[in-house]
Amino acid sequence: MATEESFVSPFLHYVSVVCLAALLGGGALCVHRVAIGPSAADRAIALDTLTMVFIGIICILCISWSSALYFDAVWILTLVGYLGSVAVARYLEKGKLF
Amino acid sequence: MPTLFDLFTAVAMILGTFLTVVACVGLLRFPDVFCRMHAAGKAGTLGVSLLIVAAMIDFAPHEAWVPVRGALAIFFQFLTTPAATHILARASYISDYGIAERTAVDELKTFLPSRPHETYGRE
Repeated sequence: MATEESFVSPFLHYVSVVCLAALLGGGALCVHRVAIGPSAADRAIALDTLTMVFIGIICILCISWSSALYFDAVWILTLVGYLGSVAVARYLEKGKLF
Repeated sequence: MPTLFDLFTAVAMILGTFLTVVACVGLLRFPDVFCRMHAAGKAGTLGVSLLIVAAMIDFAPHEAWVPVRGALAIFFQFLTTPAATHILARASYISDYGIAERTAVDELKTFLPSRPHETYGRE
């Protein structure tokens, strides 16, 4: 019973490969913005978007592998992903973190 | 022939991927920090939520806990991303990180003056 559910259909496998390639391209754009970003706020917001791209990649890989093993990483990443932005914002505004 | 669950999963996946890639392109193309936050905060949040919805639809028939965790993830996403974007935009405005020359009106100037020279020594 588990064996017949552990394979995704060919249609969904094709769609997930295409979406994964597109998300990797978007992640490359984010990495480029992190590299060239003129200010620290640019880099912080680009890293925040990169976290979103990672969450999407994990979701698509869960669908493609038919395994919910890594799905906990999704909501943990949504919880801790914004902490970097808040830390950079507090440093820019006050000059210190706490 | 794909089933109905597969069809809904594929539609949500393609829409979410499109919105996330649009957020990344906007992050690269827009002229200043505030426009980039506008792209990343709105399109990125909705795209990630649609991708989580795709996983929820796909796992709904045989893994009952995945929709619960997915709903939790979407809730936290909508709770944290606007707060982070708002506090980062405010800090970026205060420490004066250059608004683009094309900006027509700056309404925040009367309420929150930019203090680029006082930021690091304040308090």
